[in-house]
Amino acid sequence: MKMNRRQVLKAGLAASTVYSPWMIARAQARPVKLAAILPLTGAFAFAGNAALDAFRDATDRINDAGGIGGRRFELVVEDDGYDVARGTAAFNRIVQRERPDELVFVYGNSTGLSKALAPEITRLQLPYTATSFSNELADPKTYPTIFVFGPTYNDMAGALLQQIRRQRGRGAKIFLCYSNSEFGRDPIPYIKEQSARLGFQIVGEEVTPLAIADATPIVTKLRQAQPDFVILQGYVLTVEPILVRAAREQGIRATFMGTYYSAELALMQRAGAAADGFIVAYHNAYYYDTTVPAVEQIRALRRAKGRDLSYRTTYYMGSWMAMDVIAEAMRRAAAAGKLTRPGMIEALEGLGDYNAGGQVRNLRWVNRRLPFTKLWRANVRDARFDAITDWVDGSKL
Amino acid sequence: MDFALVVQTILNGLANGALYAVIAAGFVLVYRATSVVNFAIAEFMLIGAYLTYTMSLFFPLLVALLLALPLAFAFGVLVERGFVRPLLGRNVVAVIMATIGLAATLDGTALILWGPDQKAMGAADISQLPKEMPNLAFSMGGVFLSSKAVWSLILALPLAILLVTLLKYSRYGVLLRAVSESETAALAMGINAPRVVAVAWGISAMMAAIGGAFLAGAAGGGGPGHHLVLLGLIVFPVAILGGFDSVPGAVVAGLLIGLVEAFSQLYLESLLPGITQAIPFLIVLLVLLFRPYGLFGQHRIERV
Repeated sequence: MKMNRRQVLKAGLAASTVYSPWMIARAQARPVKLAAILPLTGAFAFAGNAALDAFRDATDRINDAGGIGGRRFELVVEDDGYDVARGTAAFNRIVQRERPDELVFVYGNSTGLSKALAPEITRLQLPYTATSFSNELADPKTYPTIFVFGPTYNDMAGALLQQIRRQRGRGAKIFLCYSNSEFGRDPIPYIKEQSARLGFQIVGEEVTPLAIADATPIVTKLRQAQPDFVILQGYVLTVEPILVRAAREQGIRATFMGTYYSAELALMQRAGAAADGFIVAYHNAYYYDTTVPAVEQIRALRRAKGRDLSYRTTYYMGSWMAMDVIAEAMRRAAAAGKLTRPGMIEALEGLGDYNAGGQVRNLRWVNRRLPFTKLWRANVRDARFDAITDWVDGSKL
Repeated sequence: MDFALVVQTILNGLANGALYAVIAAGFVLVYRATSVVNFAIAEFMLIGAYLTYTMSLFFPLLVALLLALPLAFAFGVLVERGFVRPLLGRNVVAVIMATIGLAATLDGTALILWGPDQKAMGAADISQLPKEMPNLAFSMGGVFLSSKAVWSLILALPLAILLVTLLKYSRYGVLLRAVSESETAALAMGINAPRVVAVAWGISAMMAAIGGAFLAGAAGGGGPGHHLVLLGLIVFPVAILGGFDSVPGAVVAGLLIGLVEAFSQLYLESLLPGITQAIPFLIVLLVLLFRPYGLFGQHRIERV
């Protein structure tokens, strides 16, 4: 049968009328994806697996509520073993394999990996956050798609310096101990600069590997320097318990301080009574704090799913918070018909009015990070960290 | 220079070195018995530390460590029977690759069996405080020794010396030396070579367990976890410095590296950050360049 032009056009119109709803439905049926590169093996497997646990819980919560704008939410997980080379390879696999209209967010790992990936993330216009709170990443001019879901290490250090000013004032003697890594070195220049400005003395500085066999040489230096405060940075409880315990054993009375990754209860579990009084900067909720609405949400979800209700670590809480915020941004982007990478950045920027249920102070970004934190003191008797401040803006010294 | 500080640094260096020595002695023992370089030695430490942790949930820590030792021995024998023996006689590279594979397998197994969470000796859940060995820390004339250092000196160091003595004077030592010289000749002489080799693996695992338990906070301030694998890498420079096939060499090299590390951490680290981590490997480089058979290794001459 031979068709004239008019018949062809009519047939085309009829076909598109019949198939377009199906095509639209099919497009909508495509999942929305978040890729997470986590240390599921290696020295930080405890943090990576806790984060994965939180991501899975949050994924269930999102999909139980109907997904994102009717699309199913999917998690893409890769293990980097806390190794920058493996993490980079995992990132490349993900971006080559996943469709840009499906993969709208990447959650990465570590300061080293995030700094290595930052230029490529920027080139791909890929919304990104990480387990890292590196100051360098919170720079929207250089990295317009990277968000830091909390204060930077500089902000945390700033909050600790504020506490030193309150406790001791000018002339306070500070000893710095940090790991020989991007993570460890990140806030050190800032601490030195601000200490000089505030009239504090840096009486000693020690650089160590991520794990040490013995803290005695460091404690010997502490005995010589006689600091009032010791700030630890760049460990995830691999060094803090050994050092604090050895220091107390040798009669060092200085106040020990740490940032986000020292703020876990395992500090007390590992160091015992020596951990009492350790001050940390931590900006999420503790799982035992049932007055925080988000904690109740987590407990309710886990109860409903028949999952273990015992203590969840700070690594879990931070990841849950990030997922909660990302999911809200996805919902808003989808409602605006912009569930794309640029749409996600726009939605994240506009989350200032979102109530995150007490997981962070608010979501008003300052240079793509949230500078508020609280300070907590280890209370070994109750096996808890007690808040010793309300929200503190760590960037204001 | 503060005399007390120097004495303290020497004692602490020796204490750490004793842990390195005990692990490296076990490592070298296996090499002597089977010519297998056990790249999974750090994972042996990890498993030993976790076995001690498991026992510590039910018993006081000293008892837990003593109970973990036979379990570690059985684990070593099991590895030898199930994994190493089928590979004997194969190409050296194949055996090396296999022990690297064994390391990855043991890493994964530990993660599955004990879970990824951070743990502390004797603490079943997060609200419990850790169990420790009796506190033997003391201070005298400005010299302070931590409990861990004292335990290392009174437990690990004598054990390493005992191993050296047994290898030299006991019947098993003679049998092991015979097997390491020539397994075929030893078999022809009626020596049960497979049993001798299995015992060597068992002892090696036991020694690694002692080192692993102490590095994982048996005497306070830490916990079992994958960071032990990072610490366990020290075994290789120790063994190379000692001569690789010499158990007494491994013991002496362990003590030497412990001392060098302690002094480096005290005096060099602030001048050259990261130097303490690098020093053992710099020593290896120098040894390989100028004395490839190490301090006590056999100077082999291969005729072709």
